Amino acid sequence: MSDMAIDTPRAAAEPAFDRAKALSAFKLGDATFYWLTRASAILVLLMLGGIIISLIIGAWPAMRAFGFEFLWTQRWAPSAHPTPVLGALGPIYGTILTSFIAMLIAVPVGLGIAIFLTELCPPFLKQPIAIAVELLAGIPSIIYGMWGFFVLGPFLADTFEPAIVSAFENVPILNTLFAGPASNLSLFNASLVLSIMILPFITAISRDVFATVPPVLKEAAYGIGCTTWEVVKNVVLPYTRVGVIGGVMLALGRALGETMAVTFIIGNSFRISSSLFAPGTTISAAIASEFAESDGVHQSALILLGLLLFVLTFCVLTAARLMLRRLEKRAGA
Amino acid sequence: MSQSAAVLQKIDAPQVNDWTNLGSIKLSIRNLNFYYGTTKALKNINLPLLTNKVTAFIGPSGCGKSTLLRILNRMYDLYPGQRAEGEVLLDGQSILDPKLDINLLRARVGMVFQKPTPFPMTIYDNIAFGIKLYEKIPKSELDGRIETALRSAALWDEVKNKLNASGLSLSGGQQQRLCIARTVAIRPEVILFDEPCSALDPISTAKIEELIDELKSRYTIAIVTHNMQQAARCSDRTAFMYLGDLIEFDETSKIFMSPSQKQTQDYITGRFG
Repeated sequence: MSDMAIDTPRAAAEPAFDRAKALSAFKLGDATFYWLTRASAILVLLMLGGIIISLIIGAWPAMRAFGFEFLWTQRWAPSAHPTPVLGALGPIYGTILTSFIAMLIAVPVGLGIAIFLTELCPPFLKQPIAIAVELLAGIPSIIYGMWGFFVLGPFLADTFEPAIVSAFENVPILNTLFAGPASNLSLFNASLVLSIMILPFITAISRDVFATVPPVLKEAAYGIGCTTWEVVKNVVLPYTRVGVIGGVMLALGRALGETMAVTFIIGNSFRISSSLFAPGTTISAAIASEFAESDGVHQSALILLGLLLFVLTFCVLTAARLMLRRLEKRAGA
Repeated sequence: MSQSAAVLQKIDAPQVNDWTNLGSIKLSIRNLNFYYGTTKALKNINLPLLTNKVTAFIGPSGCGKSTLLRILNRMYDLYPGQRAEGEVLLDGQSILDPKLDINLLRARVGMVFQKPTPFPMTIYDNIAFGIKLYEKIPKSELDGRIETALRSAALWDEVKNKLNASGLSLSGGQQQRLCIARTVAIRPEVILFDEPCSALDPISTAKIEELIDELKSRYTIAIVTHNMQQAARCSDRTAFMYLGDLIEFDETSKIFMSPSQKQTQDYITGRFG
């Protein structure tokens, strides 16, 4: 190897000329590489634009038929006479509510697991727990759906829900939130299953970003006498908040769009009930359960629902970006 | 090995008498052994840290000087598999006792690290944070404490107008002084410096050394350094360590002018290490 490196320039008759030639070959390679990567990036934009345009085209008849009223109409009657009455309020409400409850459960638990794994866990437990959490992410969503349907649903309906309903019978707000006949299929059931499904995302991402905290920074905090909780609260979480929020947002995106498991267990009812134990529906569940049998303005309304989900997810991501920017400004970093 | 054994005997022989002549002892280390798993990193260390004196630890990389420092505030506790045997007394109280409240120990024995470690928060909060861990004091008093701490770290004039800026926005030397201010603010009794200047430029280094000299009137100080001039400039006593053994421990002037061990002489004259 070293011989070659020394010999090559000597062997060349006109080194200057050869170098120019070699460089031009590089330039060609560089240009090709540049265009390849650029084309890949543009492809993403084209696909995104194409999806938006085809959604808008598909949703157009429904937009024309219902206008903005679509957003706050609760009634969903595709076969009403003389014309179908369709409104998206039920699915929108269900989507936001189930995702919200799922986040409420999964964020603290997921962060808790990640903190335990990085800061507290004895070494021999680390690997098994990490693998178990990753396996959770690998379970197909239909299996979550079946589990929610056959196991969790009956348990909730027979044991959990009656207990909660009677416990909060006389508490003003909670007695409307937890009310009604116990049901296998409910918003609450779907929220619980969703929270289990997004847990691995939050855990895996937070664990990875927690591991990036320099050990010396943690030592410095322990060095002034912090307990583990104080180190996590004041050093680890502030240091990693951008990554953690990123993971939480990814999980929220997943929760908003999750279809199969939710379709199985949410009950597919378009009526909005004040009780969490009542059946409901989400945007993706409504599309999945009705699309195959729909036509005309009904099908168009389902596509419009899809467009709304797209917009909803976009808004959530934008809000997350803005929040991150504000946090960064406040930290002054 | 035989040389170090000889030194240890010299220090050990009439143990108590020898040490009492040195002055008031803040921390006494006796028969200390330290293990990383099965590797023995410190071998039978005997050494006092004197009240209001600066003790420097010198020696080639891997000789155990940082390890020794990290025993004094039980930092090694964070890592499973590391353990210390022997006796370390802070004002006569054993700090290796497993029942000891480690957080309180660390409040009494502060540490400044090799790299500046400002927390991801404002300059003000970097210091207030440590104080709030131990005391609930009104805002006005807290402000005063923070100013005092920043002044005693010679940083006040540079940051007094931007206390709400992030600690990370300061230069490396300023960050290190911020860390010293943070340590001082908790009112420790002992401060451990683990190569505090190795990441700093000469001017910042000079400032920190000046600071160490001022701080010693109030604190007992231990400093690990790779820079022998630094040890000579700012310490009262120096310990030379090699491969986990304490080779020689004496007045700094004695160590640098007329060391009694050949290994010490070879090291300070640059013949090895």
